[in-house]
Amino acid sequence: MTFSLGDESYGLPVLNVREIIRLCPITPVPRMPPHVKGVINLRGTVIAVLDLRAKFQLAPKAYGERTCIIVVQVAAPSGGSTLMGAVVDAVEEVVQLGADDIEATPDFGGAPDTQYILGLATIQGGVKILLNIEKIFLEDGTLSLSPLSKLEPSIQPEKV
Amino acid sequence: MFPENPNESAIPSLRKVAEIIGLLGEELAFVTPNQDAGILPINRLVMDLEELPEKDFPPFLTAGLEVARAWLDQMLDGPGKFDEETIRNLNQWHTWMTSILLACQTGKAMPAWPEGWAGVDRSDNATEADEPSIRLSLAEDLTLLREFHGESVELLQSIEQGVLVLEENPTHAPTIDSIFRAFHTFKGGAGFLHLDAMRDLAHDLESLFDEVRCSRLHITSEIIDVILAGADALKRFTREIGAQLQGTNAGAPILVPTKQVVARVKSALRGEPLPKTASVTDGGASQAAGVAFSLAAKSLPKVRQSPTGEQALLSPSSGFVKLDTAKLDNLVDLVGELVIAQSMVVQNPDVQMINSLQLVRCLRQLGRITTELQRNAMSLRMVPIRALFQKMNRLVRDLATQQQKQVQLVLEGEETELDRNIVEKLSDPLVHMIRNAIDHGLENSDDRVANGKSELGMIRLTAAHQRGGIVIRIQDDGKGLDRRRILAKAIDRGLVKADATLTESEIFSLIFQAGFSTAEKVTDLSGRGVGMDVVRRNIENLRGKVEIQSRPGQGTTFTILLPLTLAIIDGLLVGVGGERYIIPTLSVRESFKPPPGTVKTIQGRGEVVSVRGRQTPLLRLGHYLGRTSRAVKPEDGIVVVVESGDAARGLLVDELLGKQEVVIKSLGHAFGQQNLLAGGAVLGDGWVGLILDVDTLVQMPYHPPQSAVPAPPAMP
Repeated sequence: MTFSLGDESYGLPVLNVREIIRLCPITPVPRMPPHVKGVINLRGTVIAVLDLRAKFQLAPKAYGERTCIIVVQVAAPSGGSTLMGAVVDAVEEVVQLGADDIEATPDFGGAPDTQYILGLATIQGGVKILLNIEKIFLEDGTLSLSPLSKLEPSIQPEKV
Repeated sequence: MFPENPNESAIPSLRKVAEIIGLLGEELAFVTPNQDAGILPINRLVMDLEELPEKDFPPFLTAGLEVARAWLDQMLDGPGKFDEETIRNLNQWHTWMTSILLACQTGKAMPAWPEGWAGVDRSDNATEADEPSIRLSLAEDLTLLREFHGESVELLQSIEQGVLVLEENPTHAPTIDSIFRAFHTFKGGAGFLHLDAMRDLAHDLESLFDEVRCSRLHITSEIIDVILAGADALKRFTREIGAQLQGTNAGAPILVPTKQVVARVKSALRGEPLPKTASVTDGGASQAAGVAFSLAAKSLPKVRQSPTGEQALLSPSSGFVKLDTAKLDNLVDLVGELVIAQSMVVQNPDVQMINSLQLVRCLRQLGRITTELQRNAMSLRMVPIRALFQKMNRLVRDLATQQQKQVQLVLEGEETELDRNIVEKLSDPLVHMIRNAIDHGLENSDDRVANGKSELGMIRLTAAHQRGGIVIRIQDDGKGLDRRRILAKAIDRGLVKADATLTESEIFSLIFQAGFSTAEKVTDLSGRGVGMDVVRRNIENLRGKVEIQSRPGQGTTFTILLPLTLAIIDGLLVGVGGERYIIPTLSVRESFKPPPGTVKTIQGRGEVVSVRGRQTPLLRLGHYLGRTSRAVKPEDGIVVVVESGDAARGLLVDELLGKQEVVIKSLGHAFGQQNLLAGGAVLGDGWVGLILDVDTLVQMPYHPPQSAVPAPPAMP
């Protein structure tokens, strides 16, 4: 399944996607890195929501009409699976990718952080950036409370 | 060799033995199957025993040691973990060793060498021995026996059904597994209640199935006969227990001949041809039970009954349904959601605009039903605290014997119900506190008499509903806490300053500090590094509190306050910087609007607010949570005084929004590492409110307020 962040197009394995919901009120959780938006109430279950724009250090953009939350199911490190949400600009489509369509991530020499990228796929002339979903979400599974010092005015909140 | 009447020189070493055996008992009380905790201390203690000069020992003691050594070695060489059998053996061994010691000290005759222990020349001519009988301690274990009886009836039914399946299909693995597990459960239950004859039989049958499971043994019609005969003997036991529970022949020993069945099982285990105790009458699957009865008739007194008679005896089974707890939790969660959804509908402005009597009536009806449904759903999770209390009965009995103190445990309010999750987690702290009361609280009989008290020490364990929660009290009439000694120790450990002036309750609560233990003997008796700090932490994890009252010479009372359930808390909804947070009401002492001038700064940084004459540190919640608080000046906001343990803090919030019950939701593993928030809750409007963890807030390093409140993380 592909979605967009700005002009870029990203892809997630469709099997991981539980559902797509419209943007709903997100309760911010204090003292978390900026890309952790907070928690939402998904029919009684409280799930964490990340902002993928912030995660990839893209310029923040006001949420619009097409902004939505993709709810993904990822395996929890402690066993079982857990639901998490990701805020994206817009959901595009579901595409079939063959192994031939996917090429390895080129080495950018460090400038764009490629650790969350599985590979690139070229379809219909566009480039889709395939994401390593488990890596993105599980990394946030071990978020720890940011030390208090980061909130002190003298030290700016650390940019991830 | 050991003289009949021990001479003086033998006594010191025996005393040492007695001491070590006592310690072993302590360790044994804590081992659990499939865990290795405790194995090393036990091994070390047995080694200590072995190192004592043996020449004065009675031969049985030396032999007993060899047996224990063999078990331990087997365990250490093997899995390195306790299994149920070893635990049982060791406990039996412990009892036996204690009785040997008692016999030595009093010069009485030695108890008999227990059956089934290797290492000593005792031929296993079991058939010659008397048939074992069991005796129920109805008064003490009534509830446990009831449960056991109900469970046994079910298990036996499932075993019989399973055997019928096996007759058709001798290699049906799931059935073999389920019968194996059934015998295993049976064994566990019987063992716990000291129904040894039943336990041994179930154990042998279980081993038989273990062999079958490992395909070392194949189900043949002979084996099925043996199993049915065994199950039948167990059933007779169960029936007798049932009868005694109904009041027939209460207290009489139950005698069911099992030796022959056991012998047959054993020979089946060894793969020998089975002794022909009866000519096997062939029968179809439908008659299998009947066959077993006729078989058993040779070895057992006549029990042949029509199938309906059998049914009638077994069918008054309890009207209980066993349920997966996850399903139950799910249901309770959903009901919680329903309640919230209902209030969302009722409070919806559009709905409130509708002017219809009919609708109002319907909504009211809906409200009533949801409330009722919620109450019912909650009660599903509630269990009486009785089972937990009765475990304590057993503990007190064992500990009192061990320490040669006379202790009476009085239970009150056993019918008080609370959330089963709480009951489960309450067990450890309660065990510890009872142990403490007996170890350190109650004096020896001699001391008690000298102080003009009754020889019989009294521990009162009560449970009651109070203050919207549950109050559990552990009250002893022992010597009470020694204030001076606690203080001295705390100063010694550097927990308080030497010149500190503390109130009585502050001193008492020192015993909950980590790294504190009053009695010098603590390492001997408790010896597990588990202190009262763990007790307090356990209880606080249950969102409860502990309080102590103590009067010298008159005893100590520990009061545990617990919420009724873990799923719902009463929360104070506060607003900070446009966000809403929930503070558990249990931790809130009071809240007020600070008049100008009550907030003072210390060294220009720390802020304190005067609460009833006490200066309490003030935390600006907005600052801690990274929100811009509207209340820049303290008098613009509200101070909520919270307490955790002994520490109190004033939390400065913008406004109080109300008080409501909320269903606690886990925030999920994404926030598993932080401890600032205890969870989230879905509020009436569908938003998520965050529940603050007061314990963390209070323990946070004190932080100076800033003139400029930091900006919250960038929000688009």
